[in-house]
Amino acid sequence: MLEQRQREMRVRNVLGGRVVREHYLREAVPCHSALCTRCTRAGKVLGADLTHFLTPDCTVALHYLEVLELPQLNGLLFTHTAYQHVQHKSRRLYQRLRRLLNSPRSDCVLFANEFQLGAYVDRRPSETHAAWQTRSVYHAAVWYHKHLSKRIPVVMVTVDPAVVEKYGSATEGVYVVPFQVYLESFWPDVPEASEFLGSLHQALITKEVESCRGRKREFAEHLPVDVLEAGIRAGRYIKGTVSMNKHKAHVEAFVQQHRLLSKDTGAWKEFLGWLNHGVWFSSDATLDDVLVLGMKNRNRAIHGDAVAVELLARTEWQGRSLTLGDVGRYDCPQEESHGEPMPTGRVVGILQRNWRDYVAILPPPEEGPTQGRQAQRLLAVPWDFRIPKIRIATTQAAMLQDVRIVVRIDSWDSTSQYPNGHFVRALGKAGDIETEVAAILIERGISVLPFSEAQLREMPTDSPTSPWAVDPKEVAQRRDLRLSHLIFSIDPQGCEDVDDALSIVQCDGLDSTIEMGVHIADVTKFVPPGGPTDLEARSRATTYYFADRRFDMLPSVLSSNLCSLRSGEDRYAFSVLWRLDKETYEVKDVWFGRTVIRSTYKLSYETAQAVLDGGHIEFATEIPELCGTEDEQQVRLGELRDVLNILTDVARAWLCRRTANGGLQLEGSEVRVEFGGVPGTVSGITPKKALEVHETVAECMIGANTWVAQRLFKSLLGCTLLRRHPPPRPELFGPLCNAGESQGFHIDISSNKALSDSLEKTKDHREPLVSHILRILATHAMSNALYCSSASVPQHELTHYGLALPMYTHFTSPIRRYSDILVHRQLLAVLAAENGDFEDSEVMPSGTYLEEICQHLNERTRAAQKAQKDSVDLFQCLFFRDVNPRMEESSTDHRVADALVFAIRANGVLVYMPRFALRGAIFLKDKEGRVASLMADGTCDFRHGCLIHKKHEIVSQPSDGLPFVLRLFDHVTVHISAEQHRAHADTLHVHLLRLEGLNQQGAHPQDTPSRPRDHMVREVQRRAMVDVEQGRSSTVGPPACPLGRESYRQSTGGLYEFLEEFEEIALMEIGKKPLACVIVKEADQPTSQSMESE
Amino acid sequence: MAGMELLSDQGYRVDGRRASELRRVQCRLGVLGHADGSALFQLGNTRALAVVSGPHEIRGSKSKALHDRAVVNCQYSMATFSTTERKRRPHGDRKSIEMSLHLRQTFETAILTQLFPRSQIDIFVQILQSDGGNYCACVNAATMALVDAGIPLQDYVCACSVGFVDETPLVDVCYAEEAAGGPVMAVALLPRSEQVAFLSLDSRLHEDHLSGVMKAATVACRDLHAVLSRIVKETLQEATAGE
Repeated sequence: MLEQRQREMRVRNVLGGRVVREHYLREAVPCHSALCTRCTRAGKVLGADLTHFLTPDCTVALHYLEVLELPQLNGLLFTHTAYQHVQHKSRRLYQRLRRLLNSPRSDCVLFANEFQLGAYVDRRPSETHAAWQTRSVYHAAVWYHKHLSKRIPVVMVTVDPAVVEKYGSATEGVYVVPFQVYLESFWPDVPEASEFLGSLHQALITKEVESCRGRKREFAEHLPVDVLEAGIRAGRYIKGTVSMNKHKAHVEAFVQQHRLLSKDTGAWKEFLGWLNHGVWFSSDATLDDVLVLGMKNRNRAIHGDAVAVELLARTEWQGRSLTLGDVGRYDCPQEESHGEPMPTGRVVGILQRNWRDYVAILPPPEEGPTQGRQAQRLLAVPWDFRIPKIRIATTQAAMLQDVRIVVRIDSWDSTSQYPNGHFVRALGKAGDIETEVAAILIERGISVLPFSEAQLREMPTDSPTSPWAVDPKEVAQRRDLRLSHLIFSIDPQGCEDVDDALSIVQCDGLDSTIEMGVHIADVTKFVPPGGPTDLEARSRATTYYFADRRFDMLPSVLSSNLCSLRSGEDRYAFSVLWRLDKETYEVKDVWFGRTVIRSTYKLSYETAQAVLDGGHIEFATEIPELCGTEDEQQVRLGELRDVLNILTDVARAWLCRRTANGGLQLEGSEVRVEFGGVPGTVSGITPKKALEVHETVAECMIGANTWVAQRLFKSLLGCTLLRRHPPPRPELFGPLCNAGESQGFHIDISSNKALSDSLEKTKDHREPLVSHILRILATHAMSNALYCSSASVPQHELTHYGLALPMYTHFTSPIRRYSDILVHRQLLAVLAAENGDFEDSEVMPSGTYLEEICQHLNERTRAAQKAQKDSVDLFQCLFFRDVNPRMEESSTDHRVADALVFAIRANGVLVYMPRFALRGAIFLKDKEGRVASLMADGTCDFRHGCLIHKKHEIVSQPSDGLPFVLRLFDHVTVHISAEQHRAHADTLHVHLLRLEGLNQQGAHPQDTPSRPRDHMVREVQRRAMVDVEQGRSSTVGPPACPLGRESYRQSTGGLYEFLEEFEEIALMEIGKKPLACVIVKEADQPTSQSMESE
Repeated sequence: MAGMELLSDQGYRVDGRRASELRRVQCRLGVLGHADGSALFQLGNTRALAVVSGPHEIRGSKSKALHDRAVVNCQYSMATFSTTERKRRPHGDRKSIEMSLHLRQTFETAILTQLFPRSQIDIFVQILQSDGGNYCACVNAATMALVDAGIPLQDYVCACSVGFVDETPLVDVCYAEEAAGGPVMAVALLPRSEQVAFLSLDSRLHEDHLSGVMKAATVACRDLHAVLSRIVKETLQEATAGE
């Protein structure tokens, strides 16, 4: 091996001593081009259809990498020289470049020119390093051009005119052009590229100018990394991630400690406390979060950065603010109440910046100084409250008025009050739905470009001319259930991607058992591991559901066709078949394996429930599969009803068993957004209804997931992908216990069983909403369910708290979750290994790699939930937006609703509005310090006075007017309005109207009367009509809307996920923030992903 | 700014090698005329000079003599000019003493000492230029010197170091890779029987990876063996052709 390689030595002078390094060169360095016939093809390949290759020189690669990242530019050839230059100059950019090179989407490759015998050039004596680098890149470009037999020109871009002059015409077919010229002449149809280049150039100039100008220091300098690391090791500094208090972003920040040891026990914390301060903390004082007060102490840390903090002396410790904050209002009330003093510190250094793209808006013109044609330096206001204003330089300020733009931060010097950044691109006019959705996508870091050619090429075809059919060879290897089993699916109405189906067969043999089956779409059959589709699905991790659209994880040919278990069509499936005892429904035997199925019925939840209840069914529309003669129809319906009955019985039995073990039945407040006929209008927001059949399907899926988890854990010990739900932190149960106490219930939180039992008792209350709200509060206290590799967590921590199961995983929705695809592959490997076939197990991710994937999945799942919540918020605000002022005082206004007080704060109360499943805060004290007081006619107004805040009630005592008391679970009437913000997302505001509840309201979400909703729908439609007449027809709106809901609906079970995971809502984010201040509501549409906690 | 990337995404190491490639091996036998055996061995930029004398009578105190086998005496030293910063003391420091001991342990197993009772074999090794893998260069140099001296050996002793970066074993680590602080395992192997004469591991390595690293080391040692035996054959051919 050694001898076949050519090599040379080179001597390098490095600062100081003389260092001799070896440098090996070889002939066989892959060129990553489709045109090449000689080189081995490994990894990504530049396509043969390109007109030219683009090679950036070192400076361009370093400073203008972001332009090169634009998806429109293709055929990028990075040289190893430029790559190393970026690596030496900036770690952040280097990581970016690596991501770009590794991303399956981008069309760029790295050519290791420095290791290629012909492409490498030695540095000449007395040649500067920069000159050598340029020559090296140029030489590589020339070599590349010749290597591909001069079939394709190579363009080297630079920013140095001297380089253009020197090399410009040295070789035919290799062009050296300035970057600006290149973009203008080669990509005239991509004007944003050269604009972006200009913006980056401005930012660079600004930075240079700034560095020349000596200015007063605004912040303390950061300590160097080695000092920080030594300090962290010595315990002098604490390492953690900064997060801002959303409601007081300019004052309060918290540093959440990174876990020092996996066994982060109380004893360890105590020890740490003793180490740091020479005092022992009582065991309940957590050293987890460190409070950082004020901008000076925060020292340029931005939300999400990994920092090192130094604790202040104990006497300087302060408590966190407990008042209800109002998002975006920086002028806070004068007096604030603070909690117990907690560890307080200051940031001494940044370990890692976690800057991302920020959505922002430029200030209105009068605020920014005008400087004529010159580049203006403006302070862009980010969409996210937690991000400071970003200073950008742009020449297009006038064009970008009222446009949401994407901004990146470049640096934040100690002499500057604000970070410096640059403009990236414009999203569109603020307020448009398309813009707002794009903003949500960027803020949550979601990238959903259309699927690439390579990915689509990998997909099987199914067109009218060449319909897809099951392969007989494949069928021979699978168990054929097409004729033997009655299989049906139950999903939300109009769903397209059915990933689970059920079956029940009665075996009338001697042992008299029932065979129950759960059949899951076999996605892994179509998605080969490591292929472009697989990588794309992994990076997306989940399908993203928005209130009005969805972004699929897999190409639609799979998600809504070949993997969807549609009725009457042959489909590949992965089945779990149980043999159950006929009486007790005990599992006697279980079988896992690949099958071929043909679903007979595709039912909706409502239809299934109607079949069970014997209600009226419109066969033609609801179950078209059943149509036939009257008799036949009745026989088959009877058959289906029997099967559904058995299924329900089994599910009940399983649920009972699980509940007895402490399974929690919690409630979230899921809502569904209904769209009006006119695009961009929302006709209603209704809480979701739960039917028993939801629970039945959920239970079957939980069963399948559990059995798969156990099977995997038994066989693949060490690298199983599991889903664990850690027990909640007891301190988060405060609001729940307090609310329960006020109604005379003791909530026992010692275990999931105790909690479940105490919640069960609350059902006796005369007001059904009390139990509902208590369950919602319990849901808030839950921690997040997480994906994990069984190797990285001790076995006793693998349990699922909410479901009360020792082990759990995700197996049942491979179409919309990547975790399920991995679990499918693991299960296949296990089954193959048992048959003595070890081939498959080679491709399995394991060890730290699996753990990394799990982290990624967790992070993406959280982003998906947040994005979904954001999108529902968006439409909720649209719904409550004040369109017609005349409606304001009318009693039929849809914005007037009944509400229940569920928590008391120092300056207000939190209320729950059952009609919209919405939560909000009512301020009883306004900015001038006036308090709400009761008027003679029963309405409320603000007067001077004071508030008295107790545990279960709040008393308002105005100087004139009647005092009043609000207790927990009091009904009030509120008015909901949407407040529009220029820079941020719109928010909802709740005002107290009357102290008594709204009579016509107050229904439990389970049985919301349809009348008010119909009324609402009519109301909004009428108003939309008025709008049209006035010529103000709304032009905004997603194109998906007119098509109706069918175009984006997707199957999801709803309740089973709802049971298995819990959403933690903004009300209490990791125990850091004061309880909710914005209207927090959680919503869910077709899917119920949102049950996943944040 | 950024730390050195020891193994790039494309699979290249800092000096352009791939993970399983050795550095260039060069060796000359009989470089010193007055010694019984000598060899100059180069592993990339690491150069080791080994000199063997013996078997001869025990020098110094006769009480050290063993009645059934020969005493192997090893001495390791580093030339003052072998590293970037000039060394104060070429030998006799703790590190050198440890290395001498390691070498003795290695060669006591490989040399057929029972053929020479009550006698002594001296192996002196000096590192002339150090660029990582000093121990391995010493062992290989000493083997060649022993071959040159005609001392009977069980087999060649081939040594190679293996580092571990990004779940990949890196064969024959150079100084830059050694200095990065990852685990480095040095293995001395009798290649034909695959018996391990010596094995040391700096810093921690997870048990799961051990077999992978060992496998890489074994392959590397066999490659070295092929090179070394070829060099011996060539040297012999030259010597016989000259006669």
